[in-house]
This record gives sequence, C-alpha cells and structure tokens, in this order.
Amino acid sequence: MRFLGRFLDRVRYTPASRILSVAAVIAFQWLAAAGQTRAEESMGLLEEQAFRAAAARVARSVVRIEASSVSPSAVGGPSEAAPASGPSTGLVVDSAGWIITTTFAIPADVDEAIVVLPATATGTGSRLAARVVGRDLSRGFVLLKVESPTALVALESSVPREKLRVGQWAIAVARGWDITTPNVAIGVISAVNRAWGRAVQTDAAVSPANYGGALVDIHGDVIGMLAPLPADTAGMMLGTELYDSGIGFAVPLEDIHRVLPRLQSGETLDPGVLGISYRSRDVFTGVPTIATSRPGSPAAEAGIQPGDTIVSVADRPVTRIAEVRHALAPLYAGDDVELVIERSDEKVAGTVQRISMRPRLVATLPPWQRSVIGIVPRRVAVQTETNRTEGERPVVIDWVWPDSPAATAGLVGGMTVLAVTPPGKAAERVAVTSAAALAGVLGGVRVGDAVTLVVLDAEGQEQSHRLTTMAMPADVPAQTPTREEGPDGAEVIRLEAPEVAMPPVAVIPTGDATDPVGVLVYFTRPHGPVDIAEASMWRVAANRYGVAVILPGSIDPQRWSRDDIRGVARSIDSLRVRRGIDSSRLVMAGSGAGGAFAWLAAEALGPAFRGVALLDAALPRQATIEPSEPGRFRWVLFDPPRDNGQLPPRVENDRNRLIQAGYGVGVLPERESQMVPVETLCSFVEANGLL
Amino acid sequence: MKQSLCWLGYFGAYVVVSVTVSMAIAVADAPRQTISDAARKVVKIYGAGGLRGLESYQSGVLVSPQGHVLTVMSTVLDADEIDCVCDDGMRYRGTLVGADPSRQLAVIALETADAPFFAMAVEDPIDVGTRVFALSNLFGVAVGDERVSVQTGVVTARVPLEARRGAYEVPFSGDVYVVDCTTNNPGSPGGALIDWQGRLIGMLGKEVRANASGIWLNYAIPIAELARGYQDILSGTVPPPPARDALSFDPRRLGIVFVPDLLDRTPPFIESVVSGSAAEQSGLSPDDLVVAVDGRSVPSRDAVQRALGMLADGDPVRIAVVRAGRVVEVDLGPRPPLRSGREVRVPAGKEGL
Repeated sequence: MRFLGRFLDRVRYTPASRILSVAAVIAFQWLAAAGQTRAEESMGLLEEQAFRAAAARVARSVVRIEASSVSPSAVGGPSEAAPASGPSTGLVVDSAGWIITTTFAIPADVDEAIVVLPATATGTGSRLAARVVGRDLSRGFVLLKVESPTALVALESSVPREKLRVGQWAIAVARGWDITTPNVAIGVISAVNRAWGRAVQTDAAVSPANYGGALVDIHGDVIGMLAPLPADTAGMMLGTELYDSGIGFAVPLEDIHRVLPRLQSGETLDPGVLGISYRSRDVFTGVPTIATSRPGSPAAEAGIQPGDTIVSVADRPVTRIAEVRHALAPLYAGDDVELVIERSDEKVAGTVQRISMRPRLVATLPPWQRSVIGIVPRRVAVQTETNRTEGERPVVIDWVWPDSPAATAGLVGGMTVLAVTPPGKAAERVAVTSAAALAGVLGGVRVGDAVTLVVLDAEGQEQSHRLTTMAMPADVPAQTPTREEGPDGAEVIRLEAPEVAMPPVAVIPTGDATDPVGVLVYFTRPHGPVDIAEASMWRVAANRYGVAVILPGSIDPQRWSRDDIRGVARSIDSLRVRRGIDSSRLVMAGSGAGGAFAWLAAEALGPAFRGVALLDAALPRQATIEPSEPGRFRWVLFDPPRDNGQLPPRVENDRNRLIQAGYGVGVLPERESQMVPVETLCSFVEANGLL
Repeated sequence: MKQSLCWLGYFGAYVVVSVTVSMAIAVADAPRQTISDAARKVVKIYGAGGLRGLESYQSGVLVSPQGHVLTVMSTVLDADEIDCVCDDGMRYRGTLVGADPSRQLAVIALETADAPFFAMAVEDPIDVGTRVFALSNLFGVAVGDERVSVQTGVVTARVPLEARRGAYEVPFSGDVYVVDCTTNNPGSPGGALIDWQGRLIGMLGKEVRANASGIWLNYAIPIAELARGYQDILSGTVPPPPARDALSFDPRRLGIVFVPDLLDRTPPFIESVVSGSAAEQSGLSPDDLVVAVDGRSVPSRDAVQRALGMLADGDPVRIAVVRAGRVVEVDLGPRPPLRSGREVRVPAGKEGL
C-alpha cells in the first residue's frame, strides 16, 4: 500500500483528483465487465445468426418426401407392416431432378413417392411424382428422379471428410415438420468415422423428423445426409431406436456422389461380401484368423483357407478383426479388394508364407448348410483369449453320434483329433488346435464332400480316416451320454449379480467340479420373481447331463423385456466365476411367451447360444431370420401342441422358414403330460457339442 | 503517517469496490445471468397423481407480481392441495384460479406479493434456429430450494401440434415450437422456454407423440398463446374446447367416395365420384390417389377427413392426386360449412378440468 501511495504521490494529484482517479479505474472495470457480458451475449447471438445462415444456404436443396401410400406391404399386409407415414426429407443432388433420401422414407417394396419442393416467394411448395431409380443398401439411401419443368437447386459444396474435426458445429436441416421453413437442430460432430467407416456421427437431434436431411457445418457446407444407421455393436437392428439419444449419423455427401452415376443408371448397390468368418468372436481384440472360407465365396475362389490370418487390406496393415471390418464395410459388391494373408508352413515349423490376392466382393453367397462328421468333443472351459493367440485345447472325442460318418469309420471316444484336410486339390492339412478350429474347417465343406481326419488312438497310434460329411441332424439322439449323479441332485441357488434387478434361480450340478458345464436358460411365462421351488424339477436332469439351468425372473410381471436379457447376460457371467462353462453347449429355451422370448434373447446375445427350444410357442412375429452362415447357426427345437399329429400352421411356417435359411430344425415327439421335458432339454444342451 | 492512513482508506475502498465489481463480472456472465434470473421465476408444482404412468408433479412459471403461476392443465392440478415450491425453497399452497381447456393452460394463485415474474411481452413470432434454454423440474430431480434443471437447444420448427391420439390426447391445435433438446419428460410440462435475452417465449407442453412420425415431441406453447390464455382465464372468457369430431369433414359431401376403410391406414384411393358434384366438375376420377389437401400430406382416408375439417367454411378446397404416375392438382371450390360442434360453450374455471 505504501508503494501504491508513493506511486500516486509521484504523479502529484490533488486528494480530490486521487479520488477521481480511483473512481476512473473502477469505472473502467465496470465498463469492461459490462462489455464482456455483452460480448458473450452477442457471441451467442452471432452464432445463432450463423446457424440460420448455414441452414438458409442449403434450404432450397432440402425437399420433403411423402409416401405416395401405395406400399404393397402397407395395403395388403397387416397394419403393423405399414411404414412410417410421416413426411420425410430428401436432398437435391443434381439440378436435373435427382434427389436422395433414406430407405426409412422409401421402404424396399415401394418404387414411387411424392417430392414436395420448398415453397418459394411466389407460392406454396409444389408436389412432383418421383420414381425410385437406384438404391444403396450398404448406406441405406435411395435415389429418386422427378420430372420438373424447372431446374432444381442442387447442393453445392461438401466438406471432405478429412477436413472434419470432432467438436465443430454441425447443423441438421430438414423438412419433416414444415414445408415453408426447414427445421433445424444444432450439435457438434461427435466422430468422423462411425458405423464401420460409413458415417459421420453427431449429437444434433436426429430423428424420423429429419432423416434424409442435410448435416451442414457452420458455413453451410454439406457434411452428409442424416440417416438411421444401425449401431450393430449396441445390439440395435434398425437405427431408429437412437433418436433423442444424442447419437445421430450422416452418410458423407462425397461417398454419395462417388456412386451417383451407378445409381443413376438404375443399379442397386449391395454391401460387398467376402465369405469368411473368424476364429475369434471378439471383434475388437480378436486376431483376423480365418475359421471358415465359404465354398463358392470370393474368399474361397481366391484361395483363402481356414487358419490363414489377414495382415493387410487395401494396402493398410491390420491386426484386429475390427480393422478388417473397417476396411471392408464401406466396399460394395463388385469392388475388388487387395488382401495379404499369412499362412503358417506345415512343413517348416515356425515359418509363414505371405500370399497376396485380389478377390472381387459379391452381394450374396450361395446358401450355406452346416455339415458335420459326427464327433462330440470332450467339454472344455475356454479361457479368455489373449490378444494374439486363441485358446488352444486338444480336441478329444467324448462320444460319437449314432449312425454318423464318424461312427461308420470306427472313431470312438477317447481319440484325439490332430489334423484335418479339407477337400480340394491344393488343400493343405490344417492342425486341429481347438474345437473351434475344426468347426471352422467343416464350415467350409459342402455336405457330402469328404475330409481326411488324422486322430491319435488310445494306444498313441496315428490313424487317418476319410469321412464323407453329413447334414446337421434335426433330432437329439435318444442315448445321449450321462454323467455320474450325486445322491441329492444339483444345488439350487439364487444367482445374485451386480446390477441384476431380478436375480434368477440357478440349478448347478454337484458332480466333478472340474467338469465344465453346459448352460440352459429357461424362460417360463413371465410372472415376476422366480421361486426357489420352481427349480426342483430340474435338479436330477441337471446333474445327469452336467447342465447348469438358469431360470430368470421378469422385471415386469406381465411381460419379458430387453432389461431381462441384460440380466441373463450378467447372470451367465456370474455363473462363469463359479464354474467353467463349455461355450459350445449353450441353449435358450422357454414355453409360451417365454419360448418366443427365448428366440429374441438368443438373437440379442449372439451366435454363442446355438440351441433354441420353443415349447408351446412359435417364433415371435417380428422375428427376422438371417440366412445361416459359419459362426451364425442355430439348432431350433419346436414342441407345439399337435392336432392329429399336424403342426400348427404358424409353427409349420416357422419351421420351413428356418430350414430355408439353413438352420437345423427338429420337432420333439408329442408329450403325454404337461410336464416340462427336462431330460430332453438337458440332453439337447449336451448334443449341441456336435461337430 | 496521516497521509498513509488516508491512502489506506482509499485503498480499502478500492478493494471493496473491486471485489464487488469482480463478483458482478462473475454473475453478469451471459448466459449465466440470464438463466439465473429466469430460474427464479420457475416453480415446482406438486399435486395429484402418482398412479401408474401419471406423474404427480410438474413445473410452472410466475407471470405476475401477485404470485400468479401459469402452467399446463393436467391431472396434477386435479387435487385438493396443490403445492408450489419457489426457487428460494418457500412452499406455498396454491389456489386454482381457472383453466383454459382449449389451450391446455391453467393459472394457480400463490399467496405472495413480491415474487419475481416473467413479463409476457414478446409478441413477435420466434424464428426457427433461435437459441433457447428450457427450465423445468424434469424428473422431479430438483427438490426444496434446489434450482430447476436447465437444457439448451434451438427452436427446430414452428408447426401445428398434431399429436397422436390415445392416452395423451391434446386438443390444443395451434402452432407450437418444436425444440431440439429432449424436454419431453415427466415434470417438464409447465416449464419455461426462454431465449438468450432471458425473455419467456414459450411453455413446455405435455408428453405427447407426434401423430405423423410416432416420435416423442419436444415442444413448447408459444408466448402469444400463453398471454391470451392468461388474460382469458383472468377475465373468465375462456373459449370452448374444440368438440372432438368438429374437425372432421366427410368428403362425400364434395362428391368423393373412397375405397372402403378396411385397414388401419387405407390409402385414400377414390372409388367413385358422385355425378354432378364438385368432385366431378373438378375432373377427379376413380383410382385417383389423394396425396394432399390444401398442401397438407394426407396418407390415409382419415387424414383427408381431418384435413378437410381444418379448413374454414368457404375456404377453397385444393386437392392433389396421383394419376398415372403424375401429380395433378384440382380445385373443388369453397368448402361447405361444418354441421356440428362450433357453438358448444364450456364454462370457464374448474369445470374445464
């Protein structure tokens, strides 16, 4: 303070002017503060003006799309199949009348629509009939053509993807609400490379009110078209579930322009398929080692074999399955892709060959049917995979399927499978290091083709057998091997797990604790919490077949819900901590509403749940059946009430659809009592180990 | 020494004032000040409900110095005791002054004399793209003197409210502001929508789904409607609610006969045209598919009836049809008067609930 005093003294102000000078300083600070306030307020308002200007820049190219309500599925089919009737949005990409919109606005069975041009100063928006010219099924957009007497206003400049930065402003502009003024939503770019490289992500509100609209930057330059892309990693199938979630997607305009000439010539662009499946189920950490190369697929034609590891796609090195997907997902059927694979040399241990190839991707693969040889390997509890190597466990035959190629060849329990040679001239012997490796090779073999199996018998002698593969059987064998039973039957506990609101009751075998268990999840009719007593009927069968039975409760006493599926997944994790689980013997089953739900739960939890049993139930009505393929196969058992031995029409229909899609489908023999066939279901779990 | 003391005095004054100024800078921070000023005018309302699917709480805004709270009409207010908790944590027993069923608004009086309040002065339409804050007690997370929650967004669109019919039928049929933040939550109805200058521009509406797309709507009732509704409730001149079937007009009266309505959403294909009717004179013919009435999209027969009903008596009926892959627009002349509904009068006040 002395210093301040001396300082002010030195400038020799009178006391009055000293007061004035202090006041001046304070006044200056006040003004600065007020200025700052105004600056921030006006900053916000300037941004607001910039948003409006950006939206206005593209507004003339943003049109409304109305269904012309002639979708055959909407007219002829049940009302639930009717597409969303609300107006949607499209973007003019060429002034000659070319407009893009989403498959959400134009479902697959619709080939025309109404385009409403924006209202101009002279009048209201005019309606034009539009026809569908081309479709991009990979990115979910549709090209429309209108005949307009005047030129339309096409979108001008687009932002190249590499210029986009996470966090920059992103403005959604569409006409779902109002034809005069486009609706806008503001957000930022959340990610530039989502949905396996096909989309930009934003947190601007993206919903059916603006699908098909433009996502633009603060200057009004176009980033892309808003689209409901599915976030398949989150278990969502449609993409529309994401509205109001802070997640929205836009297909980059540059990607759309790249394929525009092909669509204009009337092409339908399909996502490109290579025809491989991987040994690892973990997309993000798994190494891209091939389990199966589908017969007749581009992969098989190019010479990809089980056990090969992809090390480079389109000149980019890859080490994870996710990287391969990122590189392949943006490609279309008909595109060629440069691949480099590594193959270990059987003759010189520890050496690998590098092979380059250039397969041409296709739209669809020939139908796949699962082929088996008839061995059921001994159970193993596979440890978690490390990043680089997969769990390697010798494949020891536990039992041989009756009347199978393996039984005919004289294979018996106790033999160890060493190697397999797939059919084909140049095919090489593949070491069988795990049941998954053998399953992978068999997945690439047509039913009826022969493989050569090298096994080690009980005396330690190598034997070689030629086996002609057979189609996956439909029924569970009557004599499925059993395990030693304890005197009291299996243990019944409540399987508490973190975050599980309605813990299930679990029946856990009491036999050899080192023997991995199979798992049966059984959904009854939904009735809220499960009573311990409900588990008693499972105790004998669970021990006899070494199967842990999980009986989930429903959070809502009236119905099963998605949250119940999450609870089941957590419960299985918690079971895994107590007992080793054999991951090839997992079954979902249920009766009535629980049966339909068992199918949904298996679909939600992925292909690991191979077996599904529906007692007194058909598939849920909304069930879509994806064609089976290696790594996505189910064995479905039905057990409906019969009318003079006839299946109910709905079950008959489901059965045919599933068979058509390449699934194994069996029907349980008619039961006399209302009792749950616990023995059959538990032996079904064991039978799922079949190879 | 004396001079030193004098300087000490000056400096002390300087420090005190400086600190005051810095505090002023901190709170004058736009838009923090704007939000904080507005939040003091939003109240948390607790009333009836709590049953399955119905919330027992919502929000409201103070609109007069006498403690008048404007909120949306709902079952929450259908209670003997309505509790209002102000920003300072003070709890008041509210008295229902009256309600406006056509605008879905209600006024509650609190026993307070010096409450901060929103002036309902903004009359100009708010532009699409205007930055807004939504202040409400969403999910009831603010309790006691905790401040209501704030969300930010922009006005996405200004459109008529065509909410899906069903559990949450909303008779309000004027334009609303759709916003791009998720305000459609329990407890939000009655909350304030303000612009960046802190002006009240709308009130968050009830939870509804859009009729057209089936998605949940995030919307606010515009200030002009709020101001009119408030005045009408105070003066006891509340307009009657629209009769339920008043807004449907039978197209046969224009000579249009549609294909039978067998399915939920039968597309409006014309089956036949009555000879000598306006429809025939305009050139409409069987197999034409009606796609728009007066510029509004009509995906179903039902939608045609409603779109015709929304025209005023004597308005020109302009219809767009698809015929052989082309859109054709026709004019059917003035719309005949509706025959029902318009004269119904409902007394203002509690009966409206």
